[in-house]
Amino acid sequence: MKLKHLTAATTAVALMAALTACGSDNNGGSASPANNSGSASTSASASAGASKEKVEISFMGHAEPNEKEIFTKLIKSFEEKYPNVKVNYTSVPPAEYDQKLTTLSAAGKMPDIFYTSGPAFYRYAEAGTILDIQQYLDQTDLFNPDNVWKQALDRYRYDGSQLGQGDLYGLPKDVGPWALAYNKELFDKAGVAYPPAEAGKWTWDDYLKAAQAITEDTNGDGKFDIYGAANFPLEGAVWANGGDYVDYATGTVKIDSPEFAEAMQWVADLTLKHHVAPSPEDVQAMNAYSRFIAGKIGMFPMGPWDQPAFWDLPFGWDLAAWPSSPKTGETSTWLGSMGFVISSKTNHPQEAFDLASFLSLDPDGQKQNMELGQAVPNLIDMATNDYMNNGKAPEHKEVFLDIVKEIGHPPVEYGSKNTEWLDTFNQDASKVWTGQMSAADWLKQEAPKLQELYDKGNK
Amino acid sequence: MEGEGAVALHLLSIVGGKGESILTNKVPGYRRKEMLWAYAFVAIPLLGFVIFGLAPLIASAVLSFTKWDMITPPEFIGWANYSGMFGDEKVYKAFFNTTFMLIHVPLGMIVSLLLAVLMNRKMRGISVFRTIYYIPVISPIVAVSILWQWMLNNDFGVINQTLWNWFHITGPNWLGDPNWVKPSLIVMGLWGGVGSNMVLYLAGLQAISSTYYEAAEVDGASGWQKFRMITLPLLSNIHFFVIVMGVIGTFQAFSQVYVMTPDGGPEYSAGTVVFNVFEHAFSYFDMGYASAEAWVLGVIILLLTLVQFRLSKRWVYND
Repeated sequence: MKLKHLTAATTAVALMAALTACGSDNNGGSASPANNSGSASTSASASAGASKEKVEISFMGHAEPNEKEIFTKLIKSFEEKYPNVKVNYTSVPPAEYDQKLTTLSAAGKMPDIFYTSGPAFYRYAEAGTILDIQQYLDQTDLFNPDNVWKQALDRYRYDGSQLGQGDLYGLPKDVGPWALAYNKELFDKAGVAYPPAEAGKWTWDDYLKAAQAITEDTNGDGKFDIYGAANFPLEGAVWANGGDYVDYATGTVKIDSPEFAEAMQWVADLTLKHHVAPSPEDVQAMNAYSRFIAGKIGMFPMGPWDQPAFWDLPFGWDLAAWPSSPKTGETSTWLGSMGFVISSKTNHPQEAFDLASFLSLDPDGQKQNMELGQAVPNLIDMATNDYMNNGKAPEHKEVFLDIVKEIGHPPVEYGSKNTEWLDTFNQDASKVWTGQMSAADWLKQEAPKLQELYDKGNK
Repeated sequence: MEGEGAVALHLLSIVGGKGESILTNKVPGYRRKEMLWAYAFVAIPLLGFVIFGLAPLIASAVLSFTKWDMITPPEFIGWANYSGMFGDEKVYKAFFNTTFMLIHVPLGMIVSLLLAVLMNRKMRGISVFRTIYYIPVISPIVAVSILWQWMLNNDFGVINQTLWNWFHITGPNWLGDPNWVKPSLIVMGLWGGVGSNMVLYLAGLQAISSTYYEAAEVDGASGWQKFRMITLPLLSNIHFFVIVMGVIGTFQAFSQVYVMTPDGGPEYSAGTVVFNVFEHAFSYFDMGYASAEAWVLGVIILLLTLVQFRLSKRWVYND
């Protein structure tokens, strides 16, 4: 009887199983003969070969209200262009998205098109859950693949065992270059020259010097109120310094290397030794983002999606290249991306592909996104012309483009199916951030544990 | 909800108890009709139990022997999930954290008994106070957790502000310091939980016949003696219920952890077992492992509860 007291999780877990058993694939609506011959002529020629019967396709994503509005509009114009296609769009809160999608997958009720990226993309591609769209891509005249950022497309390639090469399994929704923003006023006040937009001109030492000049205790209570830096991305420092987390080709955890330790210690010392960045405790009280918005951080990372909020800032800001490691002279940061993929069980692959490419690459949609400040366009010509010259902050938008073009590195988790090892790394790393252990000692101790976790989830 | 299945089974045994079978012809027609109705009524909760209780139980037991990411078909791996847990540092941590939080049970008993005694008097407006103490119980746990998250904030939280303004004490970083996360959760749990136990104790107090106290007074017993010798022992069945439910509830703690420390807290100091189960199921999509861990937890709770029932014979008075 007391078995009934089993956790809610058991029930949830098991319920999923029950759902699988009775779930059946009922994607797509019932196909009914089209009686809209009048408007058929407006249909795009690209869907030649597909019948003009009425079809319904489902599309699921996670979007904040602005993005949702854009997508609703985009879908409406898609439906006008393809009057035989009806799109059912649902947007799920981002935190629940992966759970919801995986549950739908277990129940055999995948949407025809959905967002995915990184580890989930890898798992879906490997499991055959998502469709190889190479053949549709090769035939399409909806867009020119050469006009799409190469790295953005390559993210969605899979060759049967590894990511990044082979056939295309998805189209990019966006590119997310993680760039360095700085508060011009704080630089002026400290009398420091602005950091350069061109990579390689500024090293970690220059970054530290600028941060030291900016950091200030304005009210004399012994605590710093303005910090020169915050949230220097560890992965960027590690890659720039010639280290890496995991060699995905061999599946070896590589954190126990001098390059990694040096980079991590340098990032930790920004807080511990030099006190130019808020400590984990400071951040717990008021996060670094709020501090930057309040004009209390000199240099802070940002993505294109931060642009609309930053346009309203009362101080001037701009982008700069990440400083390079003095050891290698290299600069690095991550380039994120979310993509559209198509369920391999879809009844309407052609229509789904058309919608995906429309959402991904339609110039009007891309332009709307760009004007709302959400994204750097996926289309190269639009990014290099319209975006570069739209007259809005930041002034040095080429920093974003440089990251998209060459500097950007896929996020750490890209290439891993299960990220428990990375979560554990981030959790345990507090020992270094709080100064309990040196980076080198901790990494040495952590490496075997991570290797075990990595092997457990990825082999 | 709790006893649905039990009730259904019990009813079945009553209906079938006399050795009558619906299939035998000896049963008179009216009786047979009555029995059909009985079965029909029983069928509703029974079906609910089978579909939403028993089937998931069985499914999760089966799944616990597989590796299943919900996209590819489950793959049978024997006892690997179970044996894997022995080497899983986070599972140990989760069990340690959960066990640590059991402190909340006796603390909660003391506080709620105290409250119940205070509330157990005839006074104008007493029901207002009772209501006030009961409000946290009916508040949604997510809202409560967010509220406490604000109150416990290191720099701006009302708790640390008050500590500083009144006593000039620098309060701890409640949710940011691995040593303080669990106490924070316990304090919050106390605040949220004493109300319901208080009501139970109130009911218990009011069920104690005043003749005992009168007799004790005649013998010259002091207030403390009366409490110690009469009130406490006569509430033993309530203590028992509170302990059993408290232990089960603590072992199932999840929502407050999920809301207040979405990553399990610094160094996983807040991660409970159910939280760990959830992480494996819905962050790492390892349903097999999650099911196995959930079963281990279920069996532990079952054993603990059985032990408590066994021990209860030594100290619980049932009139």
